[in-house]
Amino acid sequence: MRVTIPRLRALIPVAAVIIVLAVLPVVGAPPAWLLYLFLFFIYLAMANMWNLLCGYSGLISLCQPAFLGLAAYTLVLLSWIGVPLYQGIIAGAIVAAAFAMLISIPVFRLRGIYFAIGTLVVPEALKFVFLLWRPVGGPIVGGGAGYVLKGAAGFSTTEVYWLALAIGIASIFLMRLILRSKLGLGLAAIRDNDGTAASSGVDVFKLKLYSFVIGAVVTGIAGTAFYISQEYIEPISAFNIRWTMTLILATVIGGIRTEEGPILGTAIVVFLHFLLARYAGISLIIQGIILVGIMLLAPQGIIGSIRKTRTYRSLLRLATGQ
Amino acid sequence: MTGLADLSTPLMMGILLGGLYTLIALGLSLVFGVMKLINVAHGDLVILASYFGYTALTVLGIDPVLSLVVGIPLLFVIGLGIQRFLLNRAFRISMEAPLIIAFGISLIIQNFAQIVWTPMSRGLTTSYALESFRVGALHVPLVYLLDFIAALVVMLFLREFLRRTYLGKAINAASQDERAAKLMGINTTRVYMFTFAIAMAFAAIAGVFLGLTFPFVPTSGVSFLIIAFGVVILGGLGSIVGTFVGGMVFGLAQTFGGYFFGVTAQLLVAYVMVLVILGIRPQGIFGR
Repeated sequence: MRVTIPRLRALIPVAAVIIVLAVLPVVGAPPAWLLYLFLFFIYLAMANMWNLLCGYSGLISLCQPAFLGLAAYTLVLLSWIGVPLYQGIIAGAIVAAAFAMLISIPVFRLRGIYFAIGTLVVPEALKFVFLLWRPVGGPIVGGGAGYVLKGAAGFSTTEVYWLALAIGIASIFLMRLILRSKLGLGLAAIRDNDGTAASSGVDVFKLKLYSFVIGAVVTGIAGTAFYISQEYIEPISAFNIRWTMTLILATVIGGIRTEEGPILGTAIVVFLHFLLARYAGISLIIQGIILVGIMLLAPQGIIGSIRKTRTYRSLLRLATGQ
Repeated sequence: MTGLADLSTPLMMGILLGGLYTLIALGLSLVFGVMKLINVAHGDLVILASYFGYTALTVLGIDPVLSLVVGIPLLFVIGLGIQRFLLNRAFRISMEAPLIIAFGISLIIQNFAQIVWTPMSRGLTTSYALESFRVGALHVPLVYLLDFIAALVVMLFLREFLRRTYLGKAINAASQDERAAKLMGINTTRVYMFTFAIAMAFAAIAGVFLGLTFPFVPTSGVSFLIIAFGVVILGGLGSIVGTFVGGMVFGLAQTFGGYFFGVTAQLLVAYVMVLVILGIRPQGIFGR
């Protein structure tokens, strides 16, 4: 018990921030703020998972849109046959997990960069599946025309916001939990040298598959929350490579292979997104230039670079009392 | 006999289309084989070349194939610049840094094209774009044949270049073992610069022939990039013959997929086949 009490005390500011974020819609915060925060939480969950895959497991996965698109499609299609949204979210997560396991059969045989190329094909193939396949409704809905989410009226904006908040916060805690568990240690060993890890008794395939599936589930749930707020889904935007770009941008700007990196990076990406919203085309050019610039000047991202500075180290020494 | 004639159309079209895909994929394959870099901006650079051809055709009235006299050196220089100032530094940072920088370049080019040429669908409509000729009972569009011939010419050029010139041999050496090449006195930084520039020159050629064959929009680069990836991994990364065979297999899968399952399913069939082949042979058909 002596260990847990100071830990709990450290959690108090975190809990305070969460409570403030949670009551924002109730106390009448401007809808624009809520929209920023909503997007922030959704991107945060996905960026955290990309960080887990690329930063900690050495899997450059370019198929994250496949998981979020599939989960969201599951939710929307189930809503057409009268399944409540909460059950739809769970079903979406299960479908994403099952798909991750299925797709791991071909792509896990590829290594490093080959893995990246193999995964890039997956969302594109799924896009064509959903352009063709019209499981529910008549011939005028589905395919390229997309589906409207049914039963979204029972879900208020506030509830969607809370859902996103829960997913975003949960993803942060999940990362902490994973990195401090045996899974995290194994992943770190694999990332540093998978040959040595395997010969020391780490089951490389199994651990990579675990993080791949966890990544798929959380990305899938975040995708369903996003499409609940959109109330409409169509294949071209759901399986778009732009999702992947946003996740990479958020993780890299903040600092890949750091826990705080995606949080800061996502905040910057969302901020830029709205700051530059008026200049549609130029906005993405600027984001591209920032991405290239950060990679060349501060390859560890903002958090990574701060950690290297002397001020941070002396502050850390002060804080730990050494 | 009618059944056989029916099947010969997708067969013929698949092989010729495979030529175009080979043309697009060659630059990607070369950069991958030598520098171990997945150039995700390749598709967008190809489309950029299509737009240069479009500008030459509409503003100056020059035939797009002739405009390559300017287009190839232009993309060659762009390639030199990208490699010299961006990618070269990224290689020293980490394995994923060049990949992420290529993503950034792709974003920049895509949106640059969107601003300059608007998001409308364009095509290189020349006097011969819609012509076709007959082979027996088959109608073959002329541009498809041009694509195939261009692919053969570029492939032969690349093969002879890699075998006969000093730079070509140096590229080969650097791709096999960078350290050993350095010890033999090869300036690998320079070799990489020229490799990327040559790949960009191929992208210029691919862009013009793509524009002659299909309409394009600023975001088309992504779809053609994914097709090119499919082609390259099917054939085995970094092998010229492999890329050619991969192009044929992909083209045939697409046209036969379209023949049996309808036009909208044609690319799906090709992608599923890529994943299935990867499941069986992760190193590609010709990979080592």
